[in-house]
Amino acid sequence: MGFLDIFLVEALVNGLLLGGVLALLALGLNLIFGVIDVAWICYAELVMFGMYAMYYFAVVYGLGYWIAAPLSIAGVGLMGVALHLLVISPLLASAPINQLLATGGVLFFLQSLATVMFGIDFRNLGIRLPTIEVADVFISYARLLAFGAALAGMVALYLFLTRTYVGTAIRAISQDRQIMALMGVDTRRIYVITSAVGGALAGLAACLLVLQYDVHPFVGLSFGPITFMICVMGGLGNMIGGFIAAFIFAEIISVGGLYLDLEWGYVFAFVFFIAMMFVRPEGLLARRS
Amino acid sequence: MRLGRRLAGLGLVAAAAFGLAFGAEAQEKKFKIGVIYDYSGPLAGGGSSLHGLGAKIMIDHFIQKGPVEGYTIEAIYADAQSKPEVAINEAVRLIEQEKVDMLLGFFSSAQCVPVAGRVEQLGKFMWITTCISTAVLENRNYKNVFRPQAMGQHFGMTATDMIASYSKEKFGKEPKDLRVAIIHEDGAYGVDVARGNEAGAKKHGLNVVLKEGYAATAPDLSALVTKLRRARPDVILHTGYNPDISLFLRQAREGGLKFGALIGHGAGYGVPEKLREALGKDLVGFFNIDPISIWQTNQAALTPDLPPIVKMVGEAYDKAQPGNQRSPHVGMAASNVYLFLQHVLPRAIKAHGGTSAEALRKAALELDFPEGGTMLGFGVKFAGDGPMAGQNERAAPVVIEYTADSADVVWPKSQAKRAPTLPLPAGNPYTTR
Repeated sequence: MGFLDIFLVEALVNGLLLGGVLALLALGLNLIFGVIDVAWICYAELVMFGMYAMYYFAVVYGLGYWIAAPLSIAGVGLMGVALHLLVISPLLASAPINQLLATGGVLFFLQSLATVMFGIDFRNLGIRLPTIEVADVFISYARLLAFGAALAGMVALYLFLTRTYVGTAIRAISQDRQIMALMGVDTRRIYVITSAVGGALAGLAACLLVLQYDVHPFVGLSFGPITFMICVMGGLGNMIGGFIAAFIFAEIISVGGLYLDLEWGYVFAFVFFIAMMFVRPEGLLARRS
Repeated sequence: MRLGRRLAGLGLVAAAAFGLAFGAEAQEKKFKIGVIYDYSGPLAGGGSSLHGLGAKIMIDHFIQKGPVEGYTIEAIYADAQSKPEVAINEAVRLIEQEKVDMLLGFFSSAQCVPVAGRVEQLGKFMWITTCISTAVLENRNYKNVFRPQAMGQHFGMTATDMIASYSKEKFGKEPKDLRVAIIHEDGAYGVDVARGNEAGAKKHGLNVVLKEGYAATAPDLSALVTKLRRARPDVILHTGYNPDISLFLRQAREGGLKFGALIGHGAGYGVPEKLREALGKDLVGFFNIDPISIWQTNQAALTPDLPPIVKMVGEAYDKAQPGNQRSPHVGMAASNVYLFLQHVLPRAIKAHGGTSAEALRKAALELDFPEGGTMLGFGVKFAGDGPMAGQNERAAPVVIEYTADSADVVWPKSQAKRAPTLPLPAGNPYTTR
């Protein structure tokens, strides 16, 4: 077998597409941390609620995918606002460990709430998307959509943060939270908007993940830890760093899993993560001080 | 004299009161069963809660029937939450705090292995309705842990028996030329079944081109799909829970993976309605290995007491989950619980003086039922010692093939309704035809 065989190309493409999924997940989490300085440990559970929203709107109420998607994104955006107002806001002045524990508690609360509300059955939209074949390399349509959405989300977020007044205020707050309040910026309002955008990004991820994964109350366990690691590796709050880290992580998993046992792909990814924590503890794109 | 009469009267009253109290106590003899399945977490939807339902249907049936040899049955249900550590904690809690006489249930082999050791240590009796890993009992020499269910290596070898038997006729290849891939979740259950697959492949001289494990919670299996495409297997032997099964099959379809047959081994593959939701008609032609559904056994071949119970379980299931297809999982647990409550418990009380672990063990070891002795069709004879002590040596799974709206038994030939469809039918997106 030649080194650059067709299966390696396929593994690289798969890694790229998986990177898109992970980058999309990391985007919202990084935004929240960058601005509010709180890590939503329960982020993947918001995605899970978004997936349920998609299922109910699209399948149970028969609204169709394209109507269900914006409704779900808006719904999870509102959940983000509720999370901020009810849990984060009262703890903003607390020690970071308290905030972490609180969002960790919300994680278990949301899992249990989903079990009570939706039951334990696996649900799915039942949509089977076509396959794209290019020169004997097969590309997942659903993954391609997620990849495209991650890129579009990144660009849209960049434009929002750089070309709008609110975006500028968000960036300013992420640089210095205390000073901006003294300069007349309504930080509470900005936090609420950021939480809504972060939640909406979780909703967007949900709309795409539900095409590939069954939804159940514990689906977040498959994504939560890996998303968090990507954000840390990219530098918590650094959106471009998170974006790059997602692709590195995904390629290691995909190519490592092709040449060794599947589990080794994850082992290498985690070893890389640990090594990076020593080499660049502030994240991939952090400047050396 | 008067004093003597008074004393005699008081004595009579006291004796009557004591008698009444004693009688009431005799009537209130209880047999407490701790029932543990996963009612939450990923395993719940993967089949565990269905087993829990099957066990409950049967326990409720016996509770309704009244005391068993003077013992009122009481069940205490606990949720293992799809976590081995929770299963152990719940088992210990039920034994030490709730004072149950025995434990029953268990879906996941990863829970069974540690819990069985702990229960044996505590000197209690454990009746495993579901988990199939050989490692639960192999070389453990437990005295009080019994499993009426077939074990993992049986499952694995049943798959290879069938494909080796049809290799020439259906694939046009000698077994040594038949390319087989073994993929499995990497827990106790998947590893054990895969061991059976491998042993069976060796026995029949099949060509194993890939053997690979993966974490059931892995968010991506596309690398596995690529490896399978590279290995070009005729047959894939897959052991998984859900939703890893639907993720794998979805990614396999998108990844252009083609094969001649796919054989699942219980757990997620035993919940066809969920697979149908995820895969639609792509499921047609896939195989699953499990004990036969109690609603598909040849009722005429069963002992006469069983068909009415099969009917009762079906009606109770329809009432509990109206509109759903009757799940083989429910029948499996119901059958195994029936075996205990109908045959082991009364025998222990009558012939061995009570409900102690020792009495229950003796009663279980005395069971000697030929084929047709359980709702699942197989007989019962537990190994009392040896490397598989506590295992029902007469339990055996069958191979079923999923059709558009049902499933047919296709192996072993003695129980098969028809021959299996091999390779996968034309029109199936995975087929090599």
